[in-house]
Amino acid sequence: MGTTLATGLPGVSMNVSDHICAFYRGVDERDEVLLPYLRAGLRAGDKCVCVLDSTDPDVLRGELVDESRVEDDQLSAFRSEDSYLLHGRFAPDDMIEFWESAAQRAFAVHDYTLVRAVGEMTWALRDLPGVELLVAYEAELNRQLHKYPQVLLCLYDLEQFTDGEALMEILRTHPQVLMSRMLLANPWYIDPDDLLAQPT
Amino acid sequence: MIGSEARYDTDVTHRATLSRLRSLMILAQLMLESSTELQIIQLAVGAARSLAPCTRVHAELDRDLVPTGEATASPLGVLDVAPGPTTDDGAPGRWAYPLHSGYGHVGWLIATCDTAPEEEEHFLLRSLAQHAGVALVNLRLHEQQRAAMAEAERVNTRLHETLEALRRSMDVHARLTAVAASGQGRQGIAAAVHELTGLPVAVEDGFGNLRAWAGPDRPDPYPKDSEADREELLRRALREGRPVRAGDRWIGVSRPQQDVTGALVLFDPEGVATAHQLTALEHGLTILAMELARLRSLAESELRVRRDLVEELLSGTDEDSALRRAQALRYDLERPHRVVVVEGHDRDHDDEAFLHGVRRAARDEPVGSLLIRRGAQVVVLADHDADWEQFRTAILDEVRGGRCRLGVGNRYQTIAGIPRSLREAEVALRVQDAASTDGLATCYEALGVYQLLAEVRDPAATEAFGRAWLQPLLDYDEQRNADLVLTLSRYLDHGGNYDASAGALFIHRSTLKYRLHRIREISGYDLSEPDTRFNLQLACRVWTTLNALRRDVDDAGRAPEPAVPEGRVPGRTSPPQVMGASGRGP
Repeated sequence: MGTTLATGLPGVSMNVSDHICAFYRGVDERDEVLLPYLRAGLRAGDKCVCVLDSTDPDVLRGELVDESRVEDDQLSAFRSEDSYLLHGRFAPDDMIEFWESAAQRAFAVHDYTLVRAVGEMTWALRDLPGVELLVAYEAELNRQLHKYPQVLLCLYDLEQFTDGEALMEILRTHPQVLMSRMLLANPWYIDPDDLLAQPT
Repeated sequence: MIGSEARYDTDVTHRATLSRLRSLMILAQLMLESSTELQIIQLAVGAARSLAPCTRVHAELDRDLVPTGEATASPLGVLDVAPGPTTDDGAPGRWAYPLHSGYGHVGWLIATCDTAPEEEEHFLLRSLAQHAGVALVNLRLHEQQRAAMAEAERVNTRLHETLEALRRSMDVHARLTAVAASGQGRQGIAAAVHELTGLPVAVEDGFGNLRAWAGPDRPDPYPKDSEADREELLRRALREGRPVRAGDRWIGVSRPQQDVTGALVLFDPEGVATAHQLTALEHGLTILAMELARLRSLAESELRVRRDLVEELLSGTDEDSALRRAQALRYDLERPHRVVVVEGHDRDHDDEAFLHGVRRAARDEPVGSLLIRRGAQVVVLADHDADWEQFRTAILDEVRGGRCRLGVGNRYQTIAGIPRSLREAEVALRVQDAASTDGLATCYEALGVYQLLAEVRDPAATEAFGRAWLQPLLDYDEQRNADLVLTLSRYLDHGGNYDASAGALFIHRSTLKYRLHRIREISGYDLSEPDTRFNLQLACRVWTTLNALRRDVDDAGRAPEPAVPEGRVPGRTSPPQVMGASGRGP
């Protein structure tokens, strides 16, 4: 589409179909990225879909109540237990279906032109079935994002994702990296077809 | 075409280099954001494999941050990497890249490769190691700083707590000092400690009786431990030297001198008292000790002043001065008073205990509150009249047995009469036996003829009368150590009844008859003649009275003559007067 979108951070913009990996330390830094990102989307009239793991969605709704159009269901916020970890396990296909149906509903029911999605990823550190499929899921998302006009921000807390090797794997699945209020094209990114073709 | 192909190849190479540099930049940023050393190392190791043909990459870290400038030997024997393998035996080559920043050195990143890395790959690995080193050093410095800040915060917290404790302690001290200075006494101390702790507070005396209370839910009646439990509790508190827990309360004892004079009690049924509250209790205890010492000193001073006042009143003093001092003691001297002399002892012959027994009995009867000990006697200045025999019994009850006699002087309207009342009380005590009064409490005003004889202005005339009638018997008694005068006195007092007289003398009837026979022989008197009987009886009473008065004078140190037993002749230098043989008198 070629349209530049506001990330909410001064001087930092993104494009439709971007799949961005945001690294931060702690909840305060998370909110410094998350809240401007959603505010910018709400102001631009985007459909915002948010999945939180360490904060109750009601807290987020409270933060953004003055800026979201409630009647149009502009802001949808979920717990990780109701999305990523539905039924107590992580199923990549179900989660991709979750994002897709959210986008379909936004475009079909409310005539939104862009879906701005964001997911807090600390759920992946729990000892639950399926979490080992995280990298494959993130890679697969890169194939799916082009189906609808949307952007996806994945939030990784460096205080909790302390395994450097896992971080390198995560790096390889995101074309964009947001760190220290800078959005960078990620040279570590590997095309999903190549990545998924590699032996595990 | 060739030129354009070459430019194309150059562009591709530059783009690849640029991409690698960008990779390094992202990784460097990520490592700087990392929260653990392992995270940084894992990122560096993972990236190194992508930047050079390495079969293995690992890091060796120093335990401590080594300051820049201090040479640290590479684990591979070189300070920095040089192109080419470090081994000569054809084994895979290893290259060491220093992990350091401008602040210091933390270790090495070691790459093992089958083939030597290209120059650019060396550059990328060295850069990667440098970024990892900066991230590691930053992390260590950050942790040191955080530890220093945490330590500073701990010190600050401790300092704050100490200051807070000091401030609270000063508040407690100031509040209690104000109570001590304002003279609010035990009630004020209890109220202040209650205010400072929020818990109910009691002041007890040494026996556990409630003396002051502050706070809600005052128990009624106030609970009192058994004597044994109280003793044990006080002993424990004294041994610990601080308030001790006893049941639902904290108790601290006050011992300004040797005796436990009081206790301060903090009621804390839930056991939630804090160190601050117990500190307030201890401060309160100090102030209580001062207050009790002050009260004791005051009581002792008052006792001394009272004693001095009584002494002076008994010996005769300036009336105005006495009245002023009595007013200072809040004692009304302008009332009628009489003197009661108490003589005796308790079972243990403990003079102090006897004095206190008399004091309690005098307070309870009530008789009066001014009294002193004078030698073996206790002298009471009585401002109320009482049944004196009952007062005597009350004294014996107070001292739990022993012996007690009373002599009671007359009542006088002014203090000028007090010395005279004392003398009367002493005479009453002296002539108690002779007067044959009922019981051992003798009032001067009930002495009858003895009172008359004691008040004769010229004792010489009465003494002459007595000697005139009794001299042979007195001489006989003195020479033979006999009791003829006493025997005659009792015989006549009992109207010539043999049995009653013998009983009063504690002798056998036959002995009495023998003695009367000797009396008749020596004196030549006819004891059946009424006139003779009257004069002899009067003479005996004169002699008894004189003896009592003489002893009284001797005790006062105003006459040199020694006291003689009742009924005996006092030593005289004048010759005995000859009795008439007719038995009708001298």
